[in-house]
Amino acid sequence: MRFVYLALLSIIFSFSGCSSKSIEEPKEAVAQEEKSSDDSNGELAGFADEFEVKEIYDPFSGYNRAMTGFNDGAYEYVLKPVAEGYKAVLHVEVRESVRNFFNNLYFPMRFTNNLLQGKFCNAYEEGGRFVINTTVGVLGLFDPARNHFNIEAHEEDFGQTLGFYGVKSGPHLVLPLLGPSNIRDAISLYPDSLLSPIDYSEREYWTLSDTSAEYIAAKSLENINYISLNMDRYEKMKRDAVDLYPYLRDVYEQYRDKQIEE
Amino acid sequence: MKKIYKKVLILCAAVLFGESLSANEQVELKEHFLNKINEVILVVEDKKISKNIRNGNIIKVLTPMFDFELMAKLSLGNTWKELSKENKDRFVKLYVERMKQSYSAKIDAYKDEKVEVKKIDQPQPNKMALVTDLVSKDEKLEIVYKFHKPKEKISAKDSWLVYDVEILGVSILKTDIAQFKEFLQTKSITELMDALAKQS
Repeated sequence: MRFVYLALLSIIFSFSGCSSKSIEEPKEAVAQEEKSSDDSNGELAGFADEFEVKEIYDPFSGYNRAMTGFNDGAYEYVLKPVAEGYKAVLHVEVRESVRNFFNNLYFPMRFTNNLLQGKFCNAYEEGGRFVINTTVGVLGLFDPARNHFNIEAHEEDFGQTLGFYGVKSGPHLVLPLLGPSNIRDAISLYPDSLLSPIDYSEREYWTLSDTSAEYIAAKSLENINYISLNMDRYEKMKRDAVDLYPYLRDVYEQYRDKQIEE
Repeated sequence: MKKIYKKVLILCAAVLFGESLSANEQVELKEHFLNKINEVILVVEDKKISKNIRNGNIIKVLTPMFDFELMAKLSLGNTWKELSKENKDRFVKLYVERMKQSYSAKIDAYKDEKVEVKKIDQPQPNKMALVTDLVSKDEKLEIVYKFHKPKEKISAKDSWLVYDVEILGVSILKTDIAQFKEFLQTKSITELMDALAKQS
């Protein structure tokens, strides 16, 4: 008999979490009504922690705003029309190969930054991707590593490496043509450029470009090609902005935080 | 000694039973979500109907799953409490319309993409996060759907409702909170509402 009691008791115990809540509910509702006639205060309180707004330190906001306007204009009136023309001439598969080719060139950057963050497994996979895509994938024009071997790329840059070791982003900074960035990520462009084979400074090894004109041509091709493959992405994102600069700033910082977290 | 064993056993069983209840809830939500997505994909793939009607149909399928009204309230942060009744109603209406348009337009661009549920987190009994991958030919986008369960079921709505969507770590609601806050530092709520009206 005691056994049955115990069983009952334990079942009641396991449900008590739910039942105590349902008893509390009307009480809360009454208290809420007393506080204000507004129904939302209690309802919203449960989300207060999740959506706490941090104060953003933004000393360059004046410059950033102007540069965002410039970049947006450059995109709408120069880059986008050019990318549309480019898209009309070249078949999507060709453009994908151009993208793959450039992505493959950034292998040293991804590999090194994976290593620096102690992500050895990812670095190993990056190495595998580079070998497969450079050989079987004809100098990186194709991506058999992903399509046939299921090895995904692991995007890492020096900004993420610094973030990984706890370096804060610093004030937001909008770069000409490159778009949203911050002090940490902007400075990181330099060490990453040393690992990029697209460069015109004197190197002891092969680089894609030898002069600054070639460098600009290669970079332009890469970016126009990227835009042609992701035509509506920026427009769709921009649609939801009531004020473009703070909107893009916030999207960028949240996105970087997430990348660093991974 | 035997009795103690029995007690422990029963206690374990009871705890496990409780656990499986919440696990069931998670499985149910996942199934429900995937069914919804399938429904949406059927609409998206129906290219015979015009874009406007298609968007309308997407909205019809999705609205019961989203708590746009709650999102509207949260998006204003502390300012919400200071609004007059009329402004509150008008703001919610505008915000909901804007979300519907924006979301259905985003989804209408889906082409041969698959949605995979990676995992389900339940940080609190009344909150769940569905971590999904939107898999296309050459990339994977991580999208997190955050659900909450209102204390009282809202009529014509599901019992679990989406209150935020995170795309690659960017929360739609957080972004709105930040940009509305900045907007309101120099401009009025009426101007914000006019800006929202223009978007939808």
